Amino acid sequence: MGELLDNITLGFGVAIGLKNLALCFLGCLIGTLIGVLPGVGPVATISMLLPITYGVDPIGALIMLAGIYYGAQYGGSTTAILVNIPGEATSVVTALDGHRMARQGRAGAALGIAAMGSFFAGTVATLVIAGLAVPLTRFALLFHPADYFALMVLGLMLAVVLARGSLIKAIAMILVGVLLSTVGRDLVTGDERLTFGWSEIDDGIDFAVVAMGVFGFAEILRNLETPETRDVVRQRIGSLLPNYQELVQSAMPILRGTGLGAFLGLLPGNGAVLAPFASYTIEKKLAADPSRFGEGAIEGVAGPEAANNAGAQTAFIPLLTLGIPPNAVMALMVGAMTIHNLVPGPEIITKQPRLFWGMIASMWIGNLMLVIINLPLVGLWVRLLKVPYRLMFPAIVLFCCIGIYSVGNNPLDVYLTAAFGLVGYLLIKLEFEPAPLLLGFVLGRLLEEKLRQAMAISQGNAWTFVDHKLAAGMLAMTFVVLIVAALPWARRRRDTAFAG
Amino acid sequence: MPTDGLGHRRSFRVARDVVAGLVLCLTAAAAYFGIRDLPISDPSGIGPGLVPKTVALTVAMLGLIIVGLGFPATSRRLDHFSIRGPLFVLGAVALFAATIRSLGLALAGPLAVMVAGLADRESRPFELAIFSLVLSALCVGLFKYVLRLPIPLAPFLLGY
Repeated sequence: MGELLDNITLGFGVAIGLKNLALCFLGCLIGTLIGVLPGVGPVATISMLLPITYGVDPIGALIMLAGIYYGAQYGGSTTAILVNIPGEATSVVTALDGHRMARQGRAGAALGIAAMGSFFAGTVATLVIAGLAVPLTRFALLFHPADYFALMVLGLMLAVVLARGSLIKAIAMILVGVLLSTVGRDLVTGDERLTFGWSEIDDGIDFAVVAMGVFGFAEILRNLETPETRDVVRQRIGSLLPNYQELVQSAMPILRGTGLGAFLGLLPGNGAVLAPFASYTIEKKLAADPSRFGEGAIEGVAGPEAANNAGAQTAFIPLLTLGIPPNAVMALMVGAMTIHNLVPGPEIITKQPRLFWGMIASMWIGNLMLVIINLPLVGLWVRLLKVPYRLMFPAIVLFCCIGIYSVGNNPLDVYLTAAFGLVGYLLIKLEFEPAPLLLGFVLGRLLEEKLRQAMAISQGNAWTFVDHKLAAGMLAMTFVVLIVAALPWARRRRDTAFAG
Repeated sequence: MPTDGLGHRRSFRVARDVVAGLVLCLTAAAAYFGIRDLPISDPSGIGPGLVPKTVALTVAMLGLIIVGLGFPATSRRLDHFSIRGPLFVLGAVALFAATIRSLGLALAGPLAVMVAGLADRESRPFELAIFSLVLSALCVGLFKYVLRLPIPLAPFLLGY
């Protein structure tokens, strides 16, 4: 306990410095600004805003990125409440009752309770991260390369099972991602792989190029084809403070949502997507009068918002302790950390405690800032939501171009991103999810590295994956998860769980 | 674009997943071709060819399964592809790539915004032109001066 307190004190010492506080604020503000735009999800927001962190030192950059991440999440909820846009994964549930409340002139209360629920969940999730980080890291340091390999395989499998869409197509996307990650010079032998003699891509393809192409540009192309039905609330926003009765109604849903989100966020796959769905279902089941749900029940905003934020935050745990990103957003974080020469994993907490605990502390500060920034700025967000898409998307294109060029000051990266935009468009038309592709791409290199290490240690004996009990157990579990997910009843349940 | 009266675009007569599976198979085949000479094993254990080759073969296999599952007459048809969106949006990106070193952000920026804007059928040229200039000025301020990214501003005029 004393150790934990020391660590948190160290973290706040780092995060409260004027510069880092300013970066955290800027991250939250810009993250919300972009995240509020309809049709721009957290992944697109973060990939678009990555370049603004390039000029900052690693600690500051991570603090800013975390701020951007929370801002993007919270911006999504604001949009869900003020504009009814179905289809935005993390805030689909919030839109159900939140937008109805807004129609009734209670947008303020919905936004207020979302902010409070998120803040409470964020506080608890920060404590969970701080508490779990040290023991999990110690555990991770005992891992043999074979265990690591098995853990990644299991994680990737869970990630597709716990996400929506076709299972077999998602698995194919992971593998295509792994294939893409092998492009470039082989790290061990120096052989050129999949470069087709093109020396410019010897170093491999930059993850920002892939992410911005398949998420940023492809998303624009998708939006351009769907006629816009933006239904910005015209009613008054109303008081931002929920009244006493609303607070009482929301207290338990927030508590339950926080617990649920904190747990689901730890799992691979998008905890931040799954958790709000689960929270909404539970609140509806527990409610005295379930028919209020869908008609502007404040519990239907409070619970899922808390779950969403708790999940969004505990998703950092597998990344920071094991070095394994559980979802696409965290995969982006890996890329961002790599740009600053940081390798996510157990070494961070032991070798760079200032960076680690500073980031944890700034997570909490970021959550606090979101409450402070968002509530007074609601009017600004409403006006931003009225900017027509015909002006919004060219601006996004320009931000992306500047960002991609700045990765390596190389126009080739920009061309490649355009090519990946086309790939992303094709994926949309063929209904392949881009998220597993990005996960496979980010994990691919590590996966192969650990496989080779394990095989080198065992002198080419593949039984090493059976001899290591942990690895064997995880690989067996991967197999079980795959079989169970393919069973008809599990498939039906999975379909209903995501049928937002 | 032809529509069915409900605002939905007409689709191709071929099942979407059949195409999806075939695309996977083609990708896998191209990848396999690109690594056909790499050894699967080497003295230290695994060779550089093992992982990509195994993965490519698995992708091809999954592709075939997806083709098979997509065949029933009831499965969804492939949507029509739009030309306008990808052409102008990705064209704008390529144009930015081609001009950023020579023209700098001051000109490449507005150019990219204007070309991208044409992707929307409802674009208004005058509004777009003004917007592109204002936006580029903001970007120059933010990226060049506040964040100090080394992006060329107007090399033909300023030399940087």
